[in-house]
Amino acid sequence: MRRGLTTLPALALLVSLSLCSATLSADTTAPAGKTVTTPLYTVKDGNKVDANTLAGWKTWRAMACDRCHGPTQEGLVGPSLIEAFKTITKEKFHNQLMKGSPEKGMPPFATSDMINKNWEYLYGYLKGRSDGNILPGHLYPIDDSSANTNAK
Amino acid sequence: MKYERSSILFGAAMLALAGYAGTASAQTDLERAMSSSSNWASQAGDYANHRYSQLKQINASNVGQLQVAWTMSTGVLRGHEGSPIVIGDTMYVHSPFPNNVYAVNLKDQSFKWKYEPKQDTDVVPVMCCDTVNRGLAFGDGKIFLQQADTTLVALDANTGKVVWTAKNGDPKKGETNTNAPHVFKDKVLTGISGGEFGVRGRVVAYDIKTGKQVWKGYSTGPDNEMLFDPAKTMTWTDGKMAPVGKDSSLKTWQGDQWKIGGGTTWGWYSYDPKLNLVYYGSGNPSTWNPAQRPGDNKWSMTIFARDLDTGVAKWVYQMTPHDEWDYDGVNEVILLDTTVNGKQVPALAHFDRNGFGYTLNRATGELLVAEKYDPKVNWATKVDMKTGRPLVDKKYSPQTTGPDVNVKGICPAALGSKDQQPASYDVKSGLIMVPTNHVCMTYEPFQVEYTAGQPYVGATLTMFPAPESHGGMGNFIAWDPGKGKIVWSKPERFSVWSGALTTAGDIVFYGTLEGYVKAVSTKDGSELWKFKTPSGIIGNVFTYQYDGKQFVGVYSGIGGWAGIGMAAGLTKDTDGLGAVGGYKDLAKFTTLGGSLFVFSLPGSSATKTASR
Repeated sequence: MRRGLTTLPALALLVSLSLCSATLSADTTAPAGKTVTTPLYTVKDGNKVDANTLAGWKTWRAMACDRCHGPTQEGLVGPSLIEAFKTITKEKFHNQLMKGSPEKGMPPFATSDMINKNWEYLYGYLKGRSDGNILPGHLYPIDDSSANTNAK
Repeated sequence: MKYERSSILFGAAMLALAGYAGTASAQTDLERAMSSSSNWASQAGDYANHRYSQLKQINASNVGQLQVAWTMSTGVLRGHEGSPIVIGDTMYVHSPFPNNVYAVNLKDQSFKWKYEPKQDTDVVPVMCCDTVNRGLAFGDGKIFLQQADTTLVALDANTGKVVWTAKNGDPKKGETNTNAPHVFKDKVLTGISGGEFGVRGRVVAYDIKTGKQVWKGYSTGPDNEMLFDPAKTMTWTDGKMAPVGKDSSLKTWQGDQWKIGGGTTWGWYSYDPKLNLVYYGSGNPSTWNPAQRPGDNKWSMTIFARDLDTGVAKWVYQMTPHDEWDYDGVNEVILLDTTVNGKQVPALAHFDRNGFGYTLNRATGELLVAEKYDPKVNWATKVDMKTGRPLVDKKYSPQTTGPDVNVKGICPAALGSKDQQPASYDVKSGLIMVPTNHVCMTYEPFQVEYTAGQPYVGATLTMFPAPESHGGMGNFIAWDPGKGKIVWSKPERFSVWSGALTTAGDIVFYGTLEGYVKAVSTKDGSELWKFKTPSGIIGNVFTYQYDGKQFVGVYSGIGGWAGIGMAAGLTKDTDGLGAVGGYKDLAKFTTLGGSLFVFSLPGSSATKTASR
């Protein structure tokens, strides 16, 4: 398995998001003890995140997006978001989320308070997953010292 | 009452002619059609959910020669559950969404008519677990289609013209249909899906002639809406049957939660004409986060016995009070007479998602047997036969550990030791042939808010093959319903998600997710024949006789919950996080499809020469 993340210094990740997306695979390994900060999210050890990104992940979970896009965002009956988030803009994402694509099975989420409140954080979370900086699965607050013991 | 119950019970046996356009008599046209094994006139072949055929031209000694007679594409590449039905010289074929119907002339496989409904695609996103449809029903000269968008349509069996329609729900609230409609006597019964959207489950009975609603019985809520008589509706209580009492559902929910409490009704129903009782199971309580809905959540996860004419519940039995695992109780109820502790009983058998095989007295509702039909089941040590309640192992209880804790190693997984794939009753041996799942899970519940029409799930889970076993994700088993014991068990690589068919030829057929249709011996499960179809099989095997020749058929088209991972390229191992766990291996064996396969023995046949 490629370990793209471990071979790159964390600083490089700050330089350019698009560069990151292009060069990193959606690896399931992330560096321990490292913090990655981008304008969209901050993640430490791959599974401890800032409050907004945590809200994004909780929205992902509550809306049961995994039922179509898979628990690791790699796609099931719905497309892989790891791939989609290499290119999708925030505006296009917002549009897709609110209107849906019913004929393809994507529901419109415009009536969900949680989506209306957190959609930008959801964008950040999924971008972090696509970048390979955020691990799949449960996330924890960045200042939560119990995270390591609870982690899978 | 219009029909004499005693006279329609078994009817005149084995009519030589398969025509259904007979004159009115004590028997309905459906009952007359079902009494001839040339037909496959209802989804289970009969009212009792036996899935058994008296045909034996194809039998244990010659099934090895079985070959393809003809095939047909449904034109839809999604999960194909259920089976066609056959009445006389016509086969009625259905498809997943958009739910097309084809009336096929068995003489030359030409289409007598087609029905292609126009449904709003908004229904697709609110369907759980693929856009499956479990098939059609026949009765009163009509073919009944339960569309995904909750419209029940009655079509003229000869012309395909719409006779009447009825609307059973609202997709904007997440209400959809996947179940087959069921014709019992002079009524058509249907249910509702949407347990993952907080839908309130119910069964509705319509007048077969007009489509007018006769009764509607909810799974949860006030007694009058559930059609419960607090003094006469009975349930198993401290080792005997006792009235459920007033507000038996309301008392087991916090506040108004029963209104969005699930208990949906998308399984295979059965009917006992002598008792005039309809049997079906209700699904999971919503949400999947148990901490959010304290109480037993009655009557989710329950077998109902209702009077066909009034809908009033005669008795109920809740398999999994306060569900913590999504062990829907919708699986089919099979009506059979068996011997329990030396006594002959009018019984029903039910293989619950929770991994227990139940035998109850179908007349009274008494609990007789409750034993594990997969030895790996661990969430409960056993069912207390006095209280009828499972003894839950706290180690595997998401309620005990609470939200945001990942509970590991729960067996079975949420899709159950068996899901909707119906079992088959071998009338000869008295054993039941059961397609099963051999899958375990991790389960992490979390807090969710309800919004109409939005997912209301509240748990993340992953699935994997049962550990320390044969490594596969399924078994095909023979079960003794009187003793509650596995007689033989045949391991399978994947879940057996296909409905079984047993015949008087001492063989049982089923399909596999890799796409094999198999025939095995009812005596020991030894494999006698198999054939690889283009796609995984989640449909139910059926049989019929036309022009003196026996045919066996099944849909090939993977999808549904087990196959849902097929549509995308899952190639990566996910470090135990599971994706669809072991199911992703399926991509090595099969891909999406949508076709019907029909098999027969070699030799001359009118269907081949198109001449009679």
